[in-house]
Amino acid sequence: MKKMDISTILASAIHESKNQVGTLLYQLQGLKDSLENKDGNQTKITLIEESLKKLNDEWVEYLYLYRLASDGYELHVDTFLMEEFLDDQVFALQPSATAKNLKLDYQCDASLTGIFDERLMTAVVSTAVYNALRFAKSKIVITAKMDENFLVIAVEDDGNGFNPAEESEDNLLDSNTGLGLYFAELSANAHIARETKGFIKKESSVNLGGASLCIYLPQ
Amino acid sequence: MGHQDFSNKKALLIEDMAEARIMQKKMLNDFGFKSVDIAMKAETAIELLKNQQFDIILADYNLGKGKDGQLLLEEARHTKLIPNTVTYLMVTAETSIEMIMGAIDFQPDGYITKPFSQAELQRRLTKLLKTKERLLNVNLALDAGEFQETIKAAKAVMKKHPSLEGRCERVIGKSLLELKQYPEALKLFNKTLKSRKMPWALFGQAKSYFHLGELDKAEKNLRQLMLDNRFFVSAYDWLAKTKVAQGHPEEAQAILIDAIGRSPKNVLRQIELGHLSLSIKDYTTAEMAYRRAVFLAKHSCYNTADVYLGHLESLVRIADDGPLAERQLDNFNNTLKKIHQSFIDDPRVAAKSYSYEIDIYLANKDLTTAKQMFELWLNEVKTNVASPPTKQQTQKYTAAFGG
Repeated sequence: MKKMDISTILASAIHESKNQVGTLLYQLQGLKDSLENKDGNQTKITLIEESLKKLNDEWVEYLYLYRLASDGYELHVDTFLMEEFLDDQVFALQPSATAKNLKLDYQCDASLTGIFDERLMTAVVSTAVYNALRFAKSKIVITAKMDENFLVIAVEDDGNGFNPAEESEDNLLDSNTGLGLYFAELSANAHIARETKGFIKKESSVNLGGASLCIYLPQ
Repeated sequence: MGHQDFSNKKALLIEDMAEARIMQKKMLNDFGFKSVDIAMKAETAIELLKNQQFDIILADYNLGKGKDGQLLLEEARHTKLIPNTVTYLMVTAETSIEMIMGAIDFQPDGYITKPFSQAELQRRLTKLLKTKERLLNVNLALDAGEFQETIKAAKAVMKKHPSLEGRCERVIGKSLLELKQYPEALKLFNKTLKSRKMPWALFGQAKSYFHLGELDKAEKNLRQLMLDNRFFVSAYDWLAKTKVAQGHPEEAQAILIDAIGRSPKNVLRQIELGHLSLSIKDYTTAEMAYRRAVFLAKHSCYNTADVYLGHLESLVRIADDGPLAERQLDNFNNTLKKIHQSFIDDPRVAAKSYSYEIDIYLANKDLTTAKQMFELWLNEVKTNVASPPTKQQTQKYTAAFGG
């Protein structure tokens, strides 16, 4: 038998598993519908649902990560009204924040538009928010603004900020955060306009005092 | 966001997996749809679309063995079975998205990734309908084929809704190409490309170059597109066209064969390959392409007599070199039968199938039957059922019959 590339095998295995999570989510939805609204199990089911959704999103992230790292991702950019894009992200992630008693919001100029790959940035923002959910004390805010020729999407929280220990390269793949950052970086890098590449910056949030992951996308 | 009333909207749900189908129908009903029609495959959907109008089509990309949701969209939009005013939402898995993006001329209005919740679906549809509403005048003009009007409407929308700028510019470019205003189209695509390498603009630029006769420039763009995105199969079609125009039909044929390898279910491409192969006298390839086209055409929007006639013609050309093998004869008779079932009311089609049939009998040295067929044909000419043979045909056949 021809020797196959192990990362390709893993990627397709993840894809299979992701589809199964999808089926589980559908089945869970059916179960939820069949229960009375006041049923005590509703909360438990919602929790399982949120965990499965997170698992699904994480696997999506890994799939994109694989494609970005193996140069197999075809970027598809379009113009978006940032308010709508951020509203979509908050809408999708709100239940996860609520489940942890955290506030999730967005802030941006109502007329701001941006050009980027929607699917990729959706995955990056959700990865960053899931990460912030682990560290935030009370709230997370997603913002968008222009900085020179870059659109900057930032995910800020009021936690303790980035841990310097995670700075070391060795640590990168040890922690979930490191992998998420690597994914964010590759995604930003994939955005190129007029020979300028996108990038990420890890900062402290001026408004909330915690961590702020900024994704710079050339426009 | 305001609540959209879906109760007066008609939805068509196309999904092959029972579980997802039941769930999605329930979702649609739960947020207000009263009318939800269901198709389990693209072929059934086409039949429904021929007889009914829908406001929203929710189609899975992966529809099992038959045509996928993207091919359905392409065919149906191309043949105006689904007007531009109708919202087409594609349901996808992560991995199929780039195939949809690769189909640059006919993209769905939106896509939603599995798994999704009822709230997400409702929200997505509400947004899409809002956008459709904003683009209503643009799409009405587009459907009516009034491209000047389309451009005017698109410019107005762009001014009012900056987030739709990309979409509107794209429509304007398309309209300029339709109006054959190639220099203006080129200017627009150049302007877009100056700020961003948008594939649709690169493709539009290539088409403009093609029509302006700048074939080398067109070729360069198309090759760039093929390099950028291996799923961008329509670039192959245009490169093949460019190669033909440059006088290299053999190269064009190779490009089409490559494209078919990437997307084997596209009827138009099979027809094109058949047509091109006939022109360069590669009858074996022509026969294969037309045979596939006949197979695919049946449940498509391109079910025209010419596909079937093309198949007969390629077999007749093969027979020019000697009698057909039994399998080939079977193929001939099968396609002939299909013509008789669906297209024989057209006198032109009747005449052509008579001539091909006679050719085959002649190749098999069955003079008697060939002669009978010719007499039958002439009889049908009298009743206007078939068009008369051409002068050449009459000469050829009478000579062959030894008359």
